[in-house]
Amino acid sequence: MLSRVAASLYWSSRYIERSDGLLRMLKINYASSQDAVQGFTWEPMMRLYTGDDHEAVMEKLGNDSRAVLKYMITSKDNPNSILNIITMARENARGVQEHITKDLWQCLNEYYHTVKDTKLDRMLQREDPIGTLDILIKQVMLYYGTVEITMERGEGRSFMNIGKYLERAIQSVDILDTKFNTLNDNPELLTDTTYWKHLLLSIGGYELYLKTYRSGFEAKNVLEQVALNNDFPRSVIYAVNHIQRYFERLKGDHEREEFRRMSFQIGRLQSRIKYSSVNSIREEGLSPFLKLIRSELYGIGNALNENYFGNY
Amino acid sequence: MQGSGYFNEYNAIDGVWDEMFGADSEIREHYSKVINYLSQESPDELKQKEDLAKRLFMSQGITFTVYNSGEGIEKIFPFDIIPRIITASEWAFVEKGIKQRLTALNHFLKDVYHNQFIIKDGIVPIDIVYSCPHFLREMYQLQVPYDIYVHIAGIDLIRDHDGTFYVLEDNLRTPSGVSYMLENREITKRLFPDLLPQCNVRSVTEYPTILYKNLMSLSPRAVSNPTIVLLSPGIYNSAYFEHTTLARLMGVELVEGRDLVVDNHKVYMKTTNGMQQVDVIYRRVDDEFLDPLVFNPSSMLGVAGLMGAYRKGNVAIVNAIGNGVADDKAVYAYVPAMIRYYLNEEPILKNVPTYQLGIPDEKEYVFANIDTMVVKKTNGSGGYGMLMGHASTEQEIEDYKNEILKEPRNFIAQPTISLSAAPCYMHGELAPRRIDLRPYALCGPNGIEIVPGGLTRVALKEGSLVVNSSQGGGSKDTWVLGS
Repeated sequence: MLSRVAASLYWSSRYIERSDGLLRMLKINYASSQDAVQGFTWEPMMRLYTGDDHEAVMEKLGNDSRAVLKYMITSKDNPNSILNIITMARENARGVQEHITKDLWQCLNEYYHTVKDTKLDRMLQREDPIGTLDILIKQVMLYYGTVEITMERGEGRSFMNIGKYLERAIQSVDILDTKFNTLNDNPELLTDTTYWKHLLLSIGGYELYLKTYRSGFEAKNVLEQVALNNDFPRSVIYAVNHIQRYFERLKGDHEREEFRRMSFQIGRLQSRIKYSSVNSIREEGLSPFLKLIRSELYGIGNALNENYFGNY
Repeated sequence: MQGSGYFNEYNAIDGVWDEMFGADSEIREHYSKVINYLSQESPDELKQKEDLAKRLFMSQGITFTVYNSGEGIEKIFPFDIIPRIITASEWAFVEKGIKQRLTALNHFLKDVYHNQFIIKDGIVPIDIVYSCPHFLREMYQLQVPYDIYVHIAGIDLIRDHDGTFYVLEDNLRTPSGVSYMLENREITKRLFPDLLPQCNVRSVTEYPTILYKNLMSLSPRAVSNPTIVLLSPGIYNSAYFEHTTLARLMGVELVEGRDLVVDNHKVYMKTTNGMQQVDVIYRRVDDEFLDPLVFNPSSMLGVAGLMGAYRKGNVAIVNAIGNGVADDKAVYAYVPAMIRYYLNEEPILKNVPTYQLGIPDEKEYVFANIDTMVVKKTNGSGGYGMLMGHASTEQEIEDYKNEILKEPRNFIAQPTISLSAAPCYMHGELAPRRIDLRPYALCGPNGIEIVPGGLTRVALKEGSLVVNSSQGGGSKDTWVLGS
């Protein structure tokens, strides 16, 4: 497979995963903004998704939910808006159309046109935003279903999956980091049930949590589920396991030196998480732990870039 | 036979060949089945079909990009739902004519880049050839596989007021539009269920298969599975959709210049498993941009060293480099003479009479009769830089004349040909619009094959004679009937 094609598939898939994470986050945040929770703020979410200039952005938007939604979904000026993310996903896919199925290309195209449609803006301003977000979330689900059903199980799909799970792992690490960092300033949140419930809902882990832990919401259990639960699809370990799984499929007939090096790199990260426990993480400190994982994940991205995408 | 509904309203244009209506307002036999079918549809149903067509094009991303003020806007190529129909006997004539013309043009390219007999024998003037910017000295004495230069040709045909076919242009470099031939047919299948088999319409789906077979046969390496690539300028090219469609239908790799490197006069592509040698390049990048070491040095679209690999015979390039000398608008005037010279046959398809503004007498004549002429740049395309004498103001004509006098060799003039008309679905009714026809001919070691069909382009503006997509043209599905 062409290096450029592999890179485009990988990035297209990363962008779609990013849009999925963002949409779910927006939905739950909007719902809780309607929950009459005193002092609800978009601040933590915006810090996560707008990067360094989040303070300036928050100042501009106030805490107005509709303005935030507009900024995060249909704004052209926000590089991380759904519109811009999906445009990037589509631009990448456009360059490799003959490597994805026609069904998948159409699906991506429809997602793009749904976001671009001026109707969407009107709906966000006038109608129930949850309904609008659900329309978009459904587009992502359609996309994943179409990948699952139509894409051949070849190299291309491996690169797509590596992109998807790398993005997911990074997002989950970021969410943990933001949520637990907020505790330093507001220790009372530690026992705030809504705070944890909210986090779990936003990454679709609420129901699993209720089934796993009977003792109510506790920070250490949340950490365990989001970082270490092998069966939770949005946990860090789950994502890393899948990066490893799809990377191993790139082995090919003759094992390249580059493959061996990266295989080692991914295995090292996987073991680091696998052989951690909530207690060991506490001992070394959550922040340094997450920092290490994040930098390892970035390292994998860089190594792919050098060894497989031809960008030395 | 008189159709009901829309057809009573249909006003054929006076003095223009109408594809559907005969001289005495009779519907031509080969259109009758379609018209019966359409007559049973209400205006609403036709409107729905038009909307469905638009939706299908959009969701499949069948778009071309127009660049305005730096921002690319994706548009669908307007599609008219009423097919254009060509009878079996018309097609047989066109097919024979194109084969003859293409054979002669191939001989001409081989000759002009080798012994130049046609120049020495005084058939084609030397200055016409050497002043053509597309005549590339780099191709001199270069051997191409099977002596084939034109592997893919999209020769443009038009019909005059009496229905006679004329060749308007020979597109022998990188003719585009074939994906619309294929996609238009797919859309028609959805719009008018059962109509195609009822009308005995010949299939066009063989095109990618034939092209792929021809590309395979050109591989310089004797390997069972040569690497064939389609070289595209990338996603910002207006024909990018076509490049992906063809690559997908043939199952070949779609590459950009940056994916390829040349090492030791061999071409390789960068893959996730290292370098892989490339044998055949179907390129959709113009000559000028193919190799920055030989042609335009600022080109980012090509591959440094490609021309060297080509000269060594380590890679086949389709179409050959330097074909522009044969579809130059000044050389065009000599194609009938070429047919007589190389084949000793009379030309089957007529040329439009062409005046060379580089020749003083002809320039005088053209200037005197400019209001009945179309003046074109010899190296122009896409309908840009044309003067339509009958539709221009005096000021426009004066300005254009001054332009001509600067470099007369760069211009030719032709009498305005009226172009035939075909019914189009326009805002709820049928109205005649002007059309042309571009069949796609494929030339391989075993001869020339032409898929029965082609691209019919339509001038959608009322009264317009310009069918180019960049100038408000659209397209129609083109049916060739079986005998």
